[in-house]
Amino acid sequence: MSEATEPFRRLVERDQDHDCDGYGPAQVCVRVAAVADLPTRVGHFQIVAFYNNRDAKEHIAMVHGDVIGAADVPTRLHSECLTGDVMGSLRCDCRDQLQEGLKLIASMDRGILLYLRQEGRGIGLINKVRAYALQDLGLDTVEANIALGFRDDERDYAVAAHMLKSLNVTSVRLITNNPNKIKQLTQYGVAVTGRIPHVIPPNDHNRFYLETKAKRSGHYIDYAGKPRLVEQSDEVMVDGMPAPGEAGERKPSS
Amino acid sequence: MIVPTGESPAIVVGAGLAGLSCARALADAGRAVIVLERARGVGGRCATRRVHDQAVDFGVLFLHGRDLAFLAALDAVPATALPGWPAVILGAGRPCQPQAFAPGERRLAFAEGVSAFPKHLARGLDLRTSARVLSLAAGPGRGSLGVELEGGGSLSAPTVVLALAAEQALALLAASPLSAPFAPALDTARTLLGMVRSRPCLTVLAGYPLSAPAPPWDIHYPEASRVLQAVAHESTKRVDPAYRAMVYQASPRWSHEHLGDADWAGAMLAEAGRLLGPWASAPTFFEPHRWRYARTELGAELAAPLLLTLPGGARLGLAGELFAPGGGVEGAWISGRRLAKRILEDERPDVAPRGATAEETG
Repeated sequence: MSEATEPFRRLVERDQDHDCDGYGPAQVCVRVAAVADLPTRVGHFQIVAFYNNRDAKEHIAMVHGDVIGAADVPTRLHSECLTGDVMGSLRCDCRDQLQEGLKLIASMDRGILLYLRQEGRGIGLINKVRAYALQDLGLDTVEANIALGFRDDERDYAVAAHMLKSLNVTSVRLITNNPNKIKQLTQYGVAVTGRIPHVIPPNDHNRFYLETKAKRSGHYIDYAGKPRLVEQSDEVMVDGMPAPGEAGERKPSS
Repeated sequence: MIVPTGESPAIVVGAGLAGLSCARALADAGRAVIVLERARGVGGRCATRRVHDQAVDFGVLFLHGRDLAFLAALDAVPATALPGWPAVILGAGRPCQPQAFAPGERRLAFAEGVSAFPKHLARGLDLRTSARVLSLAAGPGRGSLGVELEGGGSLSAPTVVLALAAEQALALLAASPLSAPFAPALDTARTLLGMVRSRPCLTVLAGYPLSAPAPPWDIHYPEASRVLQAVAHESTKRVDPAYRAMVYQASPRWSHEHLGDADWAGAMLAEAGRLLGPWASAPTFFEPHRWRYARTELGAELAAPLLLTLPGGARLGLAGELFAPGGGVEGAWISGRRLAKRILEDERPDVAPRGATAEETG
């Protein structure tokens, strides 16, 4: 048993009978259900597994350092993307964003990556593949994507907010390129004291971001001629690429 | 030509749960809505028939859900709720909606029949029954969409909602002479609708004298039957029933295989006799019903309703159990409400959903 695990074990014990009115429209309530040491290729983490009362989605927090009761904790919200995270799909940049997020957190004193399960219940994954198929057919996918749930972020913030509260985090610095995410998290009572831009290094697969200009906001076409989709709730920023918004946007806000 | 009056009116085709929930939400927000239903009554598969002066649910057997707004809508129905029905369940067969029996799920029926729910939703709506829509057409002006009715009438409005089974919506679109500029939007709708098939459900409702053996359960999901998926002891929902009513519903596969048979009802009753005892195969009376589009296959549902903006600005919405995770009555109701919300928000996304984030930040 690692010493670092002990404080989380107390949270597991504390939460055994936890049952609150929940967060958000769906009244999601989560419990810290299990914790263990998780050495990874990019650093040492505690993996904290959450139970939730609404569905079978088992959300995860990857925790590095002392975060319980801590303030200004660097925090990244990552939405599960099986095709990207696991299969290394080049239709999105999720794998890079996940890996770089974990690396960034591991390089700091402390930090949290909330891994939010989006594709449970069958609906997410089947419909995601359908959305890709529609795109390959060249159909207008804007509306179709909405119908295919690609993607509905509302719930993330409620679950994420409860997860952060369960970890007794007093305030966070959000690792994101999307200031709007801060607003939404704040609505659920999370104190956000700053923003850390999430910039991923250029590699063979994302270099086109530096070379091409987006036609419409967020619409990049990659080397294979496929639109690179924004599947996380913030825009991809590759080191060296012009910021999508105003010039000052990439500066850390605190 | 009848043009609905009022601010940004809408036409809803189909008075099943999805259509009614959509129309209800639009009407509650003050929008003029006309609901067109080809049948004589509302509710679609949420169906109750009065047989020998006794209500019999022969489509949806009971209502269940966990969405708080949906449960609140059920609670608002002015009918005698039977909370927890079915209380006694026999058999380990697979229910049509296994999540009905998951922890946290609420189940209920109404003593007046499950159609109390759609009837309540329809109250006060501008509802035209026995109104069969043959096709859609470009409206009289830019920005409106028309529907052509059987018998020659037509209606038009800036927003038309199709709340039909996928196959029916596809057939309607196929019969609609819409010009080329509409093609991209309609192709998207057709492709999405074409991704799923509805499953049929052959149903027999049967009446027995009260002296017939009383099964000690409310619903039976036989695990050892290729034929029957569910048997409802229907009359346990009724106060003081005059006869024992059983409703037999065939499995999707058997239904599919026997949809065109001459005597599928006889085969189902024979199977009932095998499962329940000889008495079950010889009812006093029975009525067969062929639900051709009974349900969306679980796991095939889309995540949200579809709202397409057509050239000129008219909008075509699609709702139904296909358009909400989980499907069923709850899914249909949710999809209708979500579609109404989008219609009211006048949401016309010009960028992909994830791009919208960028727009907000810019």
